[in-house]
Amino acid sequence: MSTDEPVVRVLVVEPQQADQRDPATLRALQRLGKGARIEVVHERDALRRLLAGAVHDCAVVDERVGAEALPLLAEAAHAGVPGVFLIRTGGDAAAVEAFDQGARDCVRAGPDFESILPVAVLDQIRRVRSERARNEADARIQWLENLSRTVVEAIPTALAVLDAVGNVLRANPAFSRLCGRSVEASAGRPLRELLPDSLWSVAEAVWREAARGNGAGPRFAKGDAAGRAFDLRAAPLSEGRSLLLVSEVTEVEDLLRQVGHLRRTNEDLIQNMNGAVLMLDSTGHVRFANPGALELLGDASPEGRDARAWIQGDTGRDLLVAVLERGERIRGVEIVVRRPDGASAPVAVAAAPLHDEGGSPRGAVAILQDLSELKQLQRQVLQTEKMASIGQLAAGVAHEINNPMGFVHANLYQVSEYVDDLTRVWDQVRGLRRAIGDAPATPELRRAAELFDATVEEVEADFLVDDLGKAVRESLEGSERVRHIVQDLRAFSHQDTAERTLADINKALDSTANIVWTMMKHSVKLTKDYGDLPPVSCYPMQLKQVWMNLLVNATQAVEQRMGAEGIRGEIRLHTRAEGGSVVVEVTDNGSGIPPEVRERIFEPFFTTKEVGEGTGLGLATTYTLVRRHGGELSVASPEGEGATFRVRLPVEPPQGGSPETP
Amino acid sequence: MSEGPRVLLVDDEPRILSALQRSLRREPVSVETAGSAAEALAALDRNAREDADPIRLVVSDQKMPGCSGIELIGEIAARHPSVRRILLTGWPESIDEPERVRLGLSALVSKPWDDQELKREIRAALDLV
Repeated sequence: MSTDEPVVRVLVVEPQQADQRDPATLRALQRLGKGARIEVVHERDALRRLLAGAVHDCAVVDERVGAEALPLLAEAAHAGVPGVFLIRTGGDAAAVEAFDQGARDCVRAGPDFESILPVAVLDQIRRVRSERARNEADARIQWLENLSRTVVEAIPTALAVLDAVGNVLRANPAFSRLCGRSVEASAGRPLRELLPDSLWSVAEAVWREAARGNGAGPRFAKGDAAGRAFDLRAAPLSEGRSLLLVSEVTEVEDLLRQVGHLRRTNEDLIQNMNGAVLMLDSTGHVRFANPGALELLGDASPEGRDARAWIQGDTGRDLLVAVLERGERIRGVEIVVRRPDGASAPVAVAAAPLHDEGGSPRGAVAILQDLSELKQLQRQVLQTEKMASIGQLAAGVAHEINNPMGFVHANLYQVSEYVDDLTRVWDQVRGLRRAIGDAPATPELRRAAELFDATVEEVEADFLVDDLGKAVRESLEGSERVRHIVQDLRAFSHQDTAERTLADINKALDSTANIVWTMMKHSVKLTKDYGDLPPVSCYPMQLKQVWMNLLVNATQAVEQRMGAEGIRGEIRLHTRAEGGSVVVEVTDNGSGIPPEVRERIFEPFFTTKEVGEGTGLGLATTYTLVRRHGGELSVASPEGEGATFRVRLPVEPPQGGSPETP
Repeated sequence: MSEGPRVLLVDDEPRILSALQRSLRREPVSVETAGSAAEALAALDRNAREDADPIRLVVSDQKMPGCSGIELIGEIAARHPSVRRILLTGWPESIDEPERVRLGLSALVSKPWDDQELKREIRAALDLV
């Protein structure tokens, strides 16, 4: 408070006529000291204005103001300002009348007036001040009482004051709702009688604890008839009494249960989902990795490692920067992941930045999907499509070539026989010429002999006869080759109209293997390891061709190596049942298949053999035939360690038709 | 043309007929030709009606415009069951065992044919071995 502010403010009402005014009044009041502000008014309106400010502690009204004096006192009293009446001439009756009108005190302007008035005023000021303070305190108490009553009545928590033996002294409406009784009906009743049975035991425990003077709870009680959940507490009050609080927490309980459920669902989802889930901190280090991620990354405990260690190439690194530093969301970007063992895999990434409650970045979550299998599938589909179109082309070509090749080949064969016959004739003609000799018997014979000799020399007839035979034999060989190509093409492309039958794969493989082994003159070690196989629904002739092609291939592979390195060739046959499939593996210890060849090995017309030795259709046909059965053909060939061709055939034909080529 | 059992060759491609005739020139058979299934059936019908020397064997191509070799052979099996039947086809695998039995084929020879094999099959069909 500033020092200029007065401590007390006193109003003085003096007569309007200046000669009526008594300077002793002001002198007396100035004894109140510097802290007192004295304000003098002479008429009613000015007084009212000042009273309206409600800042004055006391009003002194002089009797000389006249008839107005008492009503002015009344007005001051009405405004809460205590009035002191200054009696000049009036007697006790005037004092009584003043008290009637609301004056708090009367001072007679006698000889000691100047010392009495400030004392009377101060006394009034003290009284009004303490009165005001009490009023203010009362109002505050009143307000607090109202507030607590409102709160107690409005809050959903059931409140009850219990006495030392557990009777309810007072209760709020929430308590009566809980018990199903009115507030009035609850008063004085034992708690046990009022509470639902399901709450009693817990309520009793917390009440007894509070009755011993300790705070008790929170304790949970489950399920009244409606399946609600409650939180019960009690607090000790004075004189052995306790306050019992019962809050319904069904919703909170439900929320907690839902949160728990969500958490478990999330965990299950993340732990078991097919994809890999990674959470990174803002520096790109792994905070969490699900089992899918461990598998994909080839790392049993990736937590704490820098994600950059796995990322190969700029795309992946740029992506990390985009998500972690620029807060971008990423979907379906393909990157390459390199595992600690050096293997790498194409991976599709979806990533989103994470934020804390304040919105600051705190890392990212990423979902990775291994694309290796998908890529493999894509390659297979492409391969199948390629096979299909090549198959159609091959079928057309084979058919168109069939007829002309038919007569070219047959004619060449006939011509070769003709040439043999004509060569014999030619030998006899030469014998005839020799018999005629140098001196023919007749001139006609001589001329004919000379012409013959000249022509033989001119056309080099002996060479022609020789070379004609050679030319025809070579052409025949060429047409024979074309005939085989056409046959291969036909096998590659032909549509099977025969019915599927159930066949014993082991038996078919074994008989084919024995034929090939015989052809190899038993020079290769043949190991057979046949598992128990269910009968397979198939086109047996087509599968025989599959086994034949694989076995011939294996044979050629080991022959090549045996020739080069002189080691003993070995072909291993292994069959087994696996799920709804049978698997046949043909393994050789030949020279193996380099990776660049492996890529193209099933392509039609791709061959590594010498011209004329292979058409490049063997494995393509094999592939097509296996696919026609809804199966798969794959090859594994560790560098320089031979090769394993694996055929997987479904026991039952696939529904809706196999991916057939024409 | 040699003397011997009568054989009818059926193909819509004259060069095939000519090549087949060359193949069989030295065989103990008497060869005649037809350029279509209709022509072949007409020849067989006429032969059965008018001729004392029956046609013993038909060697037919499969793929011909109009009536195919299989249809022709089916027809022959119905009308002239005693005539032996050989089918020349680019797609031997397309004819399964039951179909062969139904058609009563003596042989199924793939095309382009192997001369020796064809002659062997023809002789066998005519019981000339």
